[in-house]
Amino acid sequence: MSAVVEVRNLTKRYGNLVAVDGISFSVAEGEVFGVLGPNGAGKTTTVEIIEGLRKPDSGEVSVCGIDALREPERIKELIGVQLQATSLYDQIRVKEAVDLFGGYYRKTTPTATLLEEVSLEDKRDSYVSQLSGGQKQRLALALALVNDPAALFLDEPTTGLDPQARRSVWGTIAGLRQKGKTIILTTHYMEEAQELCRRVAIMDKGRIIALDTPGALITGAGLDSRIEIDRPPEALRSLLKQALLPVTITEDGERMLLHTKKVSQALKEITRIADEHDIDLESISVQKATLEDVFLAMTGRQLRE
Amino acid sequence: MLLRQVRLETRLFLRRKDDLFWTLAFPLFFIVLFGMIYQDMLWEDLGLRAIEYILPGIIVMALMTSGIMATASGFAEEREKGIYRRLALTPLKRHTLLGGQLIQRYIVILVQTILLLIVGSLAFSIRIEGNLFWAWMVVTLGALCFLSIGFLLTGLIKTARAANGISMVVFFMLMFLGGIFFPTQMMPDFLRSFSNALPSTNLNDVLRAVMITDLGVGNVWRELLVVGGWFAGSLALAVRLFRWE
Repeated sequence: MSAVVEVRNLTKRYGNLVAVDGISFSVAEGEVFGVLGPNGAGKTTTVEIIEGLRKPDSGEVSVCGIDALREPERIKELIGVQLQATSLYDQIRVKEAVDLFGGYYRKTTPTATLLEEVSLEDKRDSYVSQLSGGQKQRLALALALVNDPAALFLDEPTTGLDPQARRSVWGTIAGLRQKGKTIILTTHYMEEAQELCRRVAIMDKGRIIALDTPGALITGAGLDSRIEIDRPPEALRSLLKQALLPVTITEDGERMLLHTKKVSQALKEITRIADEHDIDLESISVQKATLEDVFLAMTGRQLRE
Repeated sequence: MLLRQVRLETRLFLRRKDDLFWTLAFPLFFIVLFGMIYQDMLWEDLGLRAIEYILPGIIVMALMTSGIMATASGFAEEREKGIYRRLALTPLKRHTLLGGQLIQRYIVILVQTILLLIVGSLAFSIRIEGNLFWAWMVVTLGALCFLSIGFLLTGLIKTARAANGISMVVFFMLMFLGGIFFPTQMMPDFLRSFSNALPSTNLNDVLRAVMITDLGVGNVWRELLVVGGWFAGSLALAVRLFRWE
């Protein structure tokens, strides 16, 4: 697999603040690459440098082997971008917007195909001002795809959307992933990174503090999984506390949380104790650690502040 | 590319009700209003019918609604919404974008002028004794001057809200002090000398001289110079202060 986007030692300062601090990464063809981090971590600055909107203080960027800092005009034909805030003329219709953007590029995808891809066919004659937040975001996605880009940049594609609209944007992105699009996605939602990305770079204070597949990041952090029992009978609660289980127990109101690395052994023990005393385990669930927990473990802070 | 941008800007213009009101309905309303108020009234010391005095003034006013108000508030709004930022990511060149806007504004200005001339001569039988070619040249200079002032305002003002309000204040000041509805001779001395320095007052005098009367450009070269000075000064500042973001 060849690298579509390659970034080396990228640095950007604003006065005394180092927004991006010497980061390097490369994105392979057909990969969905996530940049995850809290607000102000430098995610947007990083992608905006690759897109040509900002100039770095030092470092190298190449897209499809072309030096993006020397030849930004050539890069524009090759990439598609969805900015964080949707921004379009209110007085044009959906179809007109897609046609308009198509006219700016040498290579274009037919408007009908694009609208189908983002499920906006029935809105083709609506004015941009009449669209909901999720629809505007999907239109922005269609505009980013208008030149069939070699690399697609999505900056916080679902920030500010309600859960249902978020799901629908995720569905569209998953569809693009299936078609083999190379996508670079920034987000501060760990579910988003976990759901969509093949590899994730975790960014904090301008640096990449970890980079791997979501699974490997979680495993590598050596974090415990969590067994959760909702409202256990009093008897079970005290039995579990007395038993010698390979777990650390915490209680969160009515819930009992058992943290462990040995999930199956712990589960076996718990069911055995419950069976012996004829107690029915009504509500028990196991949760793997998330990228959120990884970030917390590495920085001591929450992703969302 | 440029043609596509002109078409886009024209389409946007036709769909913006506030732009249509200020640039087309508002000046037409005034010419009809004053036409009906003044009817056949003569302004003796000027040797003109009052409505003949007013018509070039209304054309100047129309140039200002397009050049200053619509331009300043429209550009600031699109900039604030991040439209220019989004377009910067496409291969569209910024001078093409700007060129499309300027050409579209100029077309609207010519349409405004022609409409006002037609209404003025048909409804109120205003005689146009001057030279239409020179009138066109003067309107073009006025368009350039006010567009420069409009873009200068967008360079000075950050937010769309402020650009909207301030451009309106500038417009009304240039209109009321610009000898548009009444001759500057009627003003007190201190106001009059201020008024005589404004681009609207001078453009108004030049346009009246070359369009309504047959005085010709040679007799109003001083006024022409003032308008030219405003154009050059505003353009230089506008270019220096111009910002896309």
